[in-house]
Amino acid sequence: MSCSSEDLKAYVVGELGQREKAAVEVHVRACESCHEELDRLNLTQSALATLEDEEPPRRIAFVSDRVFEPRWWQTMWHSGPAMGFASAAVLAAAILVHGFERPVAPAPNAVVDTAQIQKSVDAAVTKAVSDAQAKQAAEFAKVLNASETRLEQQRQSDLATVQQAADYYRKQLARYEVASNEGPAQ
Amino acid sequence: MIFREVEDRDLIAKARRGHVDAYNVLVSRWEKRVFNYLLRLVRQREDALDLSQDVFLKAYQNLKKLDDPAKFPAWLFRIAHNEAYSLMRKNRPEGEMTVEPRMAEASGGLFPIESTLAVRAALDLLSSDQREAVLLKVYQGFKFEEMAEILACPVSTVKSRLYTALDLLKQTLAPVSTGGAE
Repeated sequence: MSCSSEDLKAYVVGELGQREKAAVEVHVRACESCHEELDRLNLTQSALATLEDEEPPRRIAFVSDRVFEPRWWQTMWHSGPAMGFASAAVLAAAILVHGFERPVAPAPNAVVDTAQIQKSVDAAVTKAVSDAQAKQAAEFAKVLNASETRLEQQRQSDLATVQQAADYYRKQLARYEVASNEGPAQ
Repeated sequence: MIFREVEDRDLIAKARRGHVDAYNVLVSRWEKRVFNYLLRLVRQREDALDLSQDVFLKAYQNLKKLDDPAKFPAWLFRIAHNEAYSLMRKNRPEGEMTVEPRMAEASGGLFPIESTLAVRAALDLLSSDQREAVLLKVYQGFKFEEMAEILACPVSTVKSRLYTALDLLKQTLAPVSTGGAE
């Protein structure tokens, strides 16, 4: 191997294969100037290594964004066990419903009174709606009441503050009046 | 190192399916390296931090375009390189991209080599292309081929920039002892 500055640099930055590396090592043992050059390059490399990495002043993190979130069907599609579990759950529910809702054999000559069924369904729906409305009204009244109480407390507190401030300024005014009536001390 | 690479690949696969948490783990692994690369390139802490955030956001948005997850590091640094040069171009509207050395006369062994200040000053002497070659090779440990991908230039150009930079750094950080030096 002849003197080659490029080979020495490639050696220092770890870009040489085993054989080329060995050739450089043999050469520098015999060549004074290349030996010195390699020493200087190693020194440069060591000096560069003294510059340590800094910690970023703030951590970078991302929050879930709907734009990037997978669609529900994508999630399901990619989730094999979840799909299996869901299928098993649906099957179990179907069996259960079938057990409870097994159709009873109609009595002979029985007549299906659809009007009666419709009536009972309507009544159930009306009851459910009125229950929900009553519950909602009760909750609304509760929230309104709490809000009014809080506002009243706030108002009392504000009044007290204003009263204190008014007292303070009244006293200050009286003090100034007395001082001005008395005139200059000297 | 091998295990680390496999884990990164897993995280990339999960992140591609929309798992932000997996991507955040990936970010936490790479943010320090990316931040320091950008900091030494643009030399402004706030700019480096803003750029780091942009880099990771762009990487997330384009993760599906990454053909080979094993090439994630070079791909990520390619984005970082583009972002940094985009900012430097913006800050230098006349289109002058080669940063001239800040100090013309810094060599001659005036700085103690142990000092990181001396290293910073020596790096400042380089053009931005040369400095970037040093950052990618010495501080980030990329191979010439990876550097060529990041910088979008031939390997011969990468070598030329790095070797010239090493010669300049050597003059400052490991000056020849003449014996008659004052």
